[in-house]
Amino acid sequence: MTLPHRFLCVITDDIHNPVELAQMALAGGARMLQLRRKSASGRELFEWAVRIQELCRAHEALFIVNDRVDIAIAMKADGVHLGQEDLPAAAARAMLGPDAILGVSASNVDEAVKAREDGADYIGLGHIFPTRSKDKPVPPLGTAAIGEVRKAVGLPVVAIGGIDPENVTEVMKAGASGIAVISAVAGAQNPSAAARHLVQRIWQ
Amino acid sequence: MNAPLSRLPRLFIISSGFEHLDSAGLSLRQAAAIKDSGPVMFQLREKGLDAARLLSLAARLRAELEPSGSLLLVNERADIALAAGAEGVHLPESCCPVATIRSAFPGLLAGQSVHSVKAARDAGKSGVDYLLFGPVFATPSKERYGPPQGLDELEQVCEAVAVPVYAVGGITPERSYACIERGAWGVAAISPFLDPGSMPSTIETFRSFLPS
Repeated sequence: MTLPHRFLCVITDDIHNPVELAQMALAGGARMLQLRRKSASGRELFEWAVRIQELCRAHEALFIVNDRVDIAIAMKADGVHLGQEDLPAAAARAMLGPDAILGVSASNVDEAVKAREDGADYIGLGHIFPTRSKDKPVPPLGTAAIGEVRKAVGLPVVAIGGIDPENVTEVMKAGASGIAVISAVAGAQNPSAAARHLVQRIWQ
Repeated sequence: MNAPLSRLPRLFIISSGFEHLDSAGLSLRQAAAIKDSGPVMFQLREKGLDAARLLSLAARLRAELEPSGSLLLVNERADIALAAGAEGVHLPESCCPVATIRSAFPGLLAGQSVHSVKAARDAGKSGVDYLLFGPVFATPSKERYGPPQGLDELEQVCEAVAVPVYAVGGITPERSYACIERGAWGVAAISPFLDPGSMPSTIETFRSFLPS
């Protein structure tokens, strides 16, 4: 499975119904949906995942599951996204097989190089800008890191962290293949419109 | 590996749940303590650990449990169980459909916790290898599941399903025999096993109340 070119990935937040959010994000042009909710039970995640996968298929978008390789395998998601505290990427790749999409979060070149060696298909690089999604122990990387990581690993870089319509152009110019957002879409009054706005900016 | 069901160990030890709170590797000390105690079921249930730390702990536990022939079950995460070389996955009542886990991870034993006769019946049909039913007796760690279900409910569960049932909740060696009489295959507990130093003798006491 291949990644789209210049794309918006919408990650579910901890508040809104993930299926409804996915529906709106896809209507707004998101090409990748990532299901992420650490507090949910396995049953909830599985049921959401099955429905979001159907929506993604209908929109020819990719569906990936955060952290839970077991659920991704059980419901045959397009792939998984792993943070540095999740299963090691090499172990996940061994279970997922060569065709699944494997994204790995990195915040520096070393982590990105390791991710590539372990079989990652793309690097989720962040946080690029200040973000309120989580308390971050390190300062934002800035857009220059996108080019550095891309050059060092040769994999698509999906930028994450504080990305909004005002800074998308700078992110894409820096060499990102895509952007990933949580609150910029999930927290918007109108998630479809927010996604559409970001997608327009990606292509400008 | 699908071990013959009749040969699952009768004693089911559940990890403390405290591994993320500086418990200095309690589960590893527990596993080391039972080296000579014969096979048990050992469930790694540490919801406070992230997946990376769970996998590394599970892999070390697998090695520690080897000499006793014990079976390692990882709570909920079949992916971690497979990556760690554990024998199985132990599913909570609210989990992915068991049938999908079975077909996605065919090499793993799969057990499930249930808290009612109905849930047990449903789980029994879904292809699990064993069930954990409780709380049979009053226990502080399971208060959120409401009052104890009692031995009569345990008996109904054991009659309703064809797979081995482990009784959990307030289990002591002395109460184990009553559970077996009502049809349980074995018993499961956390608190009797929290002191690795006394584990070998505790296990021996439990065994004296359990069928061989």
